[in-house]
Amino acid sequence: MTTFTETKKKKVRINGCVASAQAAKYADVDVITAYPIRPYTATMMALAQMVANGELDAEYIVADSEHSQLSIAHGAASSGARVFTGSSGVGVQFAYELYSPISGSRMPVQMMIADRTLDPPGDFGSEHTDALSTRDMGWLMGWACDAQEAFDNHLMGYRIGEDPRVLLPQMVCQDGFFVSHITTDVELPDPGQVKEFLPPYKHPYPLDPRHPVSHGPQIMPEQGPPLQLERARAMESSMAVIEQVHDEFAKIFGRRYDPWVEEFMTDGADVVFFIQGGHAVTARFAIQHLREQGIKVGMVRLRTIRPYPTDRVNEVLSKFEVVGVIETNMGLGSVSSGGSLYAEVCAALYESPEPPLVVSFMAGMGGEAIVLKEFYWMAEKMLAAQKRGKIEKRTHWVGFEE
Amino acid sequence: MPAIEIERQILPILDSPNQGARFYNPDLPASEPFVPGHRTCAGCGPSIQYRMTSKASGDNTILVGPTGCMYVANSSYLCTPYNVPWAHTQIGSAGSFTAGVAAAYEAMIRKGKWKGAFPNIICEAGDGSASDIGLASISGALYRNHDCLIICYDNEQYANTGIQASSRTPFGGMTTFSPPGPKVPEAKALYPKDLARMMAAGHPHCYVATASVGYPIDLMNKVRKGLNHKGAAFLMVYTPCQKGFVYETPRSIDLGRLVVECGLYPIWEWRPEKRAYDYSFRPQNMRPVSEYLKLQGRFGHLHAEHIAALQKFANQQWQMMGVQLPDALIQAADPKNQVNMAAAAEAEAVALTL
Repeated sequence: MTTFTETKKKKVRINGCVASAQAAKYADVDVITAYPIRPYTATMMALAQMVANGELDAEYIVADSEHSQLSIAHGAASSGARVFTGSSGVGVQFAYELYSPISGSRMPVQMMIADRTLDPPGDFGSEHTDALSTRDMGWLMGWACDAQEAFDNHLMGYRIGEDPRVLLPQMVCQDGFFVSHITTDVELPDPGQVKEFLPPYKHPYPLDPRHPVSHGPQIMPEQGPPLQLERARAMESSMAVIEQVHDEFAKIFGRRYDPWVEEFMTDGADVVFFIQGGHAVTARFAIQHLREQGIKVGMVRLRTIRPYPTDRVNEVLSKFEVVGVIETNMGLGSVSSGGSLYAEVCAALYESPEPPLVVSFMAGMGGEAIVLKEFYWMAEKMLAAQKRGKIEKRTHWVGFEE
Repeated sequence: MPAIEIERQILPILDSPNQGARFYNPDLPASEPFVPGHRTCAGCGPSIQYRMTSKASGDNTILVGPTGCMYVANSSYLCTPYNVPWAHTQIGSAGSFTAGVAAAYEAMIRKGKWKGAFPNIICEAGDGSASDIGLASISGALYRNHDCLIICYDNEQYANTGIQASSRTPFGGMTTFSPPGPKVPEAKALYPKDLARMMAAGHPHCYVATASVGYPIDLMNKVRKGLNHKGAAFLMVYTPCQKGFVYETPRSIDLGRLVVECGLYPIWEWRPEKRAYDYSFRPQNMRPVSEYLKLQGRFGHLHAEHIAALQKFANQQWQMMGVQLPDALIQAADPKNQVNMAAAAEAEAVALTL
């Protein structure tokens, strides 16, 4: 194994947005395309400055809309360039048309999401609904819970998405403000480490005049299913690649992540929070405090939602008696009449011989912080369900009930 | 690593002493980036344009095809008429996808990831894409001045979806979204969006021109001028659609000339270096609009006053180009001097039975 001179590795104090920009710089992206919307804008501001300073040689394109942003990204990736883009909230929705064409043409575009509530009401706050509403479009997707993890996920995202066995775009998500605008210590690697980890992008069939190819011709109905099957298989086969890349990342950078779920204080736990993203940081404090009082609570944090780690979620959550799904997203009229995570948790547990009780919590909506006392309240609800052997109801709106 | 300087292609302009002449025999390039094997209709104006355009551009070319009839009729999975790289994009992504391709090549050549002269990057957008849903994306690409050529192949309708009105459909044009009826005898009541002038006015640093398949050498030269121009260029080309216009298949090129001769499709160039229009193109003849209209079923329902209104519109176009109007055309703008189209009475009778 290569040994690195650690002289160029450094710790810096930056927020999630800047960590994402740094990751794009380390990945030596060729084309960046921006359109302003809070809160992800700060990433593009940082990249604009890097390009202006000559620290990063990339085409920096200010698009005329998010739809154009994603189309520019699609065109650039189709030509063989490594592409970085991003958005938040309604911006993610404005580009919706492009998600399926990009994954369908197997272009590993990377999109940074600092999530944000949808309208109404013109709310700046974090909510996972924007990116989650695109979750079945063939993009790899997962949430980071802090700036360091966001940085790392970007590098791993390119490596996984550009793998010839995968060739899929990636949404690298972080909570708006809670991660995107909170300044923390982030370790930036030695460029040599990144070079070793992330080879240059090489799409097998780019738009190259020397090797003419036609991308995306019209198909007949009977030609649709085989193409859809291939895309589904790419998503499936990405699972082995994701595990392999996380291993290699740990070897080269020294930070090891479970690719699917983080378990926090789950040893001996009866009830667990099932959560995504930055609120997990608060959850860890709440759990430590509750454990001090002898309450057997833990946390399972979903790191990758596409592809969904069904077997892993089943295996891990089957160990507990009650699972409280913290939604932080809107699933209006969905299975639980709450958020959209609940249905997938229940589906994953369907084959469990001894499934836990599952309850859904609508918390962290509209960008509200989930404060410690709300975690304690949710833990109480789970403990009551455990005692009763039955949930009180499928969905609780936290802060609106006794 | 120092940035690598980008080599740009310069294509020679074809010799054509008289653009308006009926016959000429210039030396055309042998390259055929667009070959038979597609499913376009006989006499298809847009595909004639496609062949001329790509022939003028040559083999170091990348084509971008937003959704439209030239997407659906040309490409069918496992079979392709393109000898150069081609990519489909969404109908609203004409300018943006093309910008992405251009940006990728700027970066890849500069960073040593691709070697060779900068490719000719051409987007072939229909008028629905260019004047409606993809307008902002094209404006963005022109504004940012990516080195590319965006062509609007203008068949004055959404042809792919079965002939619907676009904002390029002329006044009086019948489509399935603008049918004639007792309340709306003229069918399409609105006048077309002046897309090319809009592009020239809003992006004066770009090369902008109009052309018609009726004048192939002029069209090919404008393609080359657009490609040679360092930065973005926009070309709007009249490309008749026999399915939507309803005319005899062999007359596509005739219509391409008549539309210019009757003043309904002004041919001009915007010269960015002078910040001025060039109106020097002159067709061989000037004709009343009725000679153009009567060849097409889409105008068969028009009454005398509608034909006169179109003549007035054509006269205004001539005047915008500084052309002196002959008396005959001024008089033709008076409804008293026009007669109903042959089908007008029948169309009205059919409409009343519905």
